[in-house]
Amino acid sequence: MGEGPGLTPVEYLDRFFDELRTEVRSNPKLAARLVKALGGNVVFEDEAKAEVANPYALAAGPKAKFLSVFGAMKLGDIKKVLKENNLATRVDMNGKSASDLVEMMYSRAAMKVQERKSSAF
Amino acid sequence: MPALIAAIANLKGGVGKSTTTVMLADGLAHYYGMNVLVIDLDPQANSSQMLLTERGVQDASDQGKGVHHVLASFMAGKPPSAAPFIMPNAVTLEELRRAEEQDERQGWISSLPSHPQLRMRELGLEEEWYSGSGTPTSLADALAKFFREAFEPLLPLYDIILLDCPPHLSPLARAGLSIADAFITPTIADSVSTWGTKQFSEWVGKFVTPDLAQRNFVLITRFRDTKYARSIASDLREIYLKDRWFGPTIPESVHVLNAMDRAAPDSYDTFRGKYAGVTGDVRRLAERFTDFMTQRTGATWAKVRD
Repeated sequence: MGEGPGLTPVEYLDRFFDELRTEVRSNPKLAARLVKALGGNVVFEDEAKAEVANPYALAAGPKAKFLSVFGAMKLGDIKKVLKENNLATRVDMNGKSASDLVEMMYSRAAMKVQERKSSAF
Repeated sequence: MPALIAAIANLKGGVGKSTTTVMLADGLAHYYGMNVLVIDLDPQANSSQMLLTERGVQDASDQGKGVHHVLASFMAGKPPSAAPFIMPNAVTLEELRRAEEQDERQGWISSLPSHPQLRMRELGLEEEWYSGSGTPTSLADALAKFFREAFEPLLPLYDIILLDCPPHLSPLARAGLSIADAFITPTIADSVSTWGTKQFSEWVGKFVTPDLAQRNFVLITRFRDTKYARSIASDLREIYLKDRWFGPTIPESVHVLNAMDRAAPDSYDTFRGKYAGVTGDVRRLAERFTDFMTQRTGATWAKVRD
């Protein structure tokens, strides 16, 4: 710690946290992992929400919570979540409204959770 | 021409048997307009899940469809029959679905699915059979006879029947192998899989068909392009299995994993949408296997789609 440019411990840690802040701003998935590791309760907004929201995890809980997260998303973000989580193909999404797609997302995610989650837990 | 029965089999697990089954079913139905029946003899029910989804597999079972119901019919001493246990629609491709809707069917996939209950049903059957003077071989022979008679009326209805076999030699698996005309052997380019392929070849060559080499279509799957894998693949082609017919090498790819994860029983995708970066590999697999079928049966197939 005493080697190099002779920074204080606080200055050293500031450098570390500055780097972390920069990364968290541009990488919502890392931010979500860090928050989860720390056990915090924070809200992600707009595009960041589409990056980090896990439809399977939310479909395992109350539907109202699921809708509060995905129901507020833009159509493009909803489609992105459906595609990235293998919940719908382009063919399936064709011509459907945002509310239709959120309903589809919930029913398919809930069905997969029900089929895949062991009844022992 | 009656359907060719091809068993997708290898005693080594994790080599891509179920994935190969689904890719081949899709490729032959899509490009060549073939009417394909997929029979899943593996209690893990992987190819059934890939075609029908988990919910679809359960729904099929609830409707009395599946290999475990065929076994129950055998156990009850009923006349051999398979047709009532088949799911007539296991299509996931939008092109096939749309053509059917417009009454212009060109290519179709049906399924005689598996279910995890199949394992329990097999165990029950074996307990019962062995409690008398029965042996594993006599049970395998009796099942093979039952299957031959049950599938006989279906042969004119399909172009090809694909049997997805489990990675072991239960009486049910042996019965499946013994009714097959051809054997598709997926393998991975590594040393343990190469050895597993030897075990499979020796067993089938000894107990099922001495002319396995002429009936065997080998596929190197889950290929990762490394010097080691290239070397093993080359040895398989040039030394260990040099008398076999080889298909294209299928790469290890996230596109393959995605293609096998159907979103829901009512979800469809275009062929290109489903296979994305491995579309060309699946097309080559269908082309090469059709060449193999022509060599086996003398029949030829023309492409119905590009």
